[in-house]
Amino acid sequence: MSNVAIDIQQLTRSYGPRRGVSDVNLKVERGALFGFLGPNGAGKTTTIRVLLGFLRPTSGKATALDLDCWRQSHTLKHDVGAIPGDLRLWPWLSGRSALKLFGRIRGKDMLRQGQSLAEELELDLSVKVRAMSRGMRQKLGLILALAHEPKLLILDEPTTALDPLMQDRLREILRRRSNLGDTVFFSSHTLGEVQALCERVAIVKRGVIVADTTVSELAAAAGHDIDIRWSAATPLPESTSLDPIVTWKSRESLAWTGRLREGELPQLLAFVAQHRSAMADLKIARPDLETLFMRFYEDDSNGEAPR
Amino acid sequence: MNFGPFNLGLVQRALREILGITLVFAGVLATISGLLAYALPRIQARFMQRQFIPPGVKQFRDAILGLDSTGAGVSEVAFAIAWSHPIVLALLSAHAIMVCTRVLAGEVERGTVDVLLALPVSRLRLLASETLAWLITAGVVLAAVYAGSYVGAQFIKPEFRPDWAKLFMVLCNLSLVYAVIGCAALLVAHYTDRRVRAVLAVIVITIFSLLINFLHTLDPALEFTKQLAFLSFLDYYKPIGMLLSGEWPWKDMGILAGACVVLWTGTAVILSRRDITTT
Repeated sequence: MSNVAIDIQQLTRSYGPRRGVSDVNLKVERGALFGFLGPNGAGKTTTIRVLLGFLRPTSGKATALDLDCWRQSHTLKHDVGAIPGDLRLWPWLSGRSALKLFGRIRGKDMLRQGQSLAEELELDLSVKVRAMSRGMRQKLGLILALAHEPKLLILDEPTTALDPLMQDRLREILRRRSNLGDTVFFSSHTLGEVQALCERVAIVKRGVIVADTTVSELAAAAGHDIDIRWSAATPLPESTSLDPIVTWKSRESLAWTGRLREGELPQLLAFVAQHRSAMADLKIARPDLETLFMRFYEDDSNGEAPR
Repeated sequence: MNFGPFNLGLVQRALREILGITLVFAGVLATISGLLAYALPRIQARFMQRQFIPPGVKQFRDAILGLDSTGAGVSEVAFAIAWSHPIVLALLSAHAIMVCTRVLAGEVERGTVDVLLALPVSRLRLLASETLAWLITAGVVLAAVYAGSYVGAQFIKPEFRPDWAKLFMVLCNLSLVYAVIGCAALLVAHYTDRRVRAVLAVIVITIFSLLINFLHTLDPALEFTKQLAFLSFLDYYKPIGMLLSGEWPWKDMGILAGACVVLWTGTAVILSRRDITTT
């Protein structure tokens, strides 16, 4: 048994002329809380569908828990709990009958564990799906994904329709599972919730992985945002030594804002020392993660990670 | 929980979805079959008393029966008509189409396929389980036709009642016709993601099949239908022949069974190879 829960190698999946994902490489270690981020239509769900054996890779390979996701899909799913992005359940099921039915299909008692999860997520198991709100259905979907105690959880935007309190409860449950050695593959288009849960994150954009790193490394690689305010009383430097190392967002007469490349802080500080008498104010800060994530969404022409 | 090639949980799930509608179909079929068994022998007896059937009527009747009925008695003709009556065939076809297009097209269309396929069951086992559930309900509706005939026949003169063993042969042959329609529906529903498309496709195939058979029997000289007649599943279902001779139509039943095997295997191949996505 390898230490890798999910291993995707050069995975390409296209839908005829439509793009799915292209040349995706991803490794998720066992026990990890892994965030899979990307805007809608980026390729998150396609990747998940390949992992669950719904789609056959056009090229490349995907394995999970050392099993091929296409050829050994049904064996793999004994140890996988999954929730789709747009969860639909059979309307005639109640929470309790769903747990019994799924347990019967899986050949495993899911009722006891399901009841405990339902208490934690505050779901009444006697209600029929047809009478459930979207949030209740989502909770039931999560309970059905968790109640057989899978080794790998593949969750496609699982917090959809959950209120903040329940999102928090879900994160607690997932952390607990991770501590027991289970792997969580958590897809989302919101960095905030991934940041609150995951140690490692991959960002997919237009079918391509543009970042695969830890949340802290991601922040570190992003450089610094700088904001310089000049004093009106003193003459401004006309051309600066910062031009090669700063991507300027705006450079009006008395307010310069831009993004400093990672590793160029000493040069900025030297510039500040040289011109400090002319400066009215200066701000140097790491971008917050949401801003950082938005940069990945920006429509850059080459699709590479922002610097 | 698996039992041979079936997953009992999936069989239970399928039955939960189709048993209600099956009981409705069974009730309607039993009633219609009973009424036909009660009324048709009387009508046929009146025809025979006149000792003259206009040639057009006989030709039309033979077209429905799929065979020349000259020399047949009241009971044979009446029950052959009852068991190849368009309403009975249409209701049986509707049941097969309704049940067999649920998976996969129906599940894709209502978005539940993601949950279904996330379960640890191979696609082949899923198909086998769905097929078993369908066959159980098929047994119910087909038994209803037989039971309806039996009950209806209790209210007619004993001499007009059919030979029940021969009628059982007809039931077996009809079951295979029903199975071919169901297997065709399975195949189309696993090829397309839209249930309406699957239903329409099978309805078109069924109507084409009925029409070809009807025209071919109505006018055997018609070249166009003569060449296509072998494609009609009704070409392999002739109740009057069985009721007259009492012989099992092994060849016809073999062809229908073969068609079922080919269609079901085709479905399995499509299902095991195809990509499944709700978007």
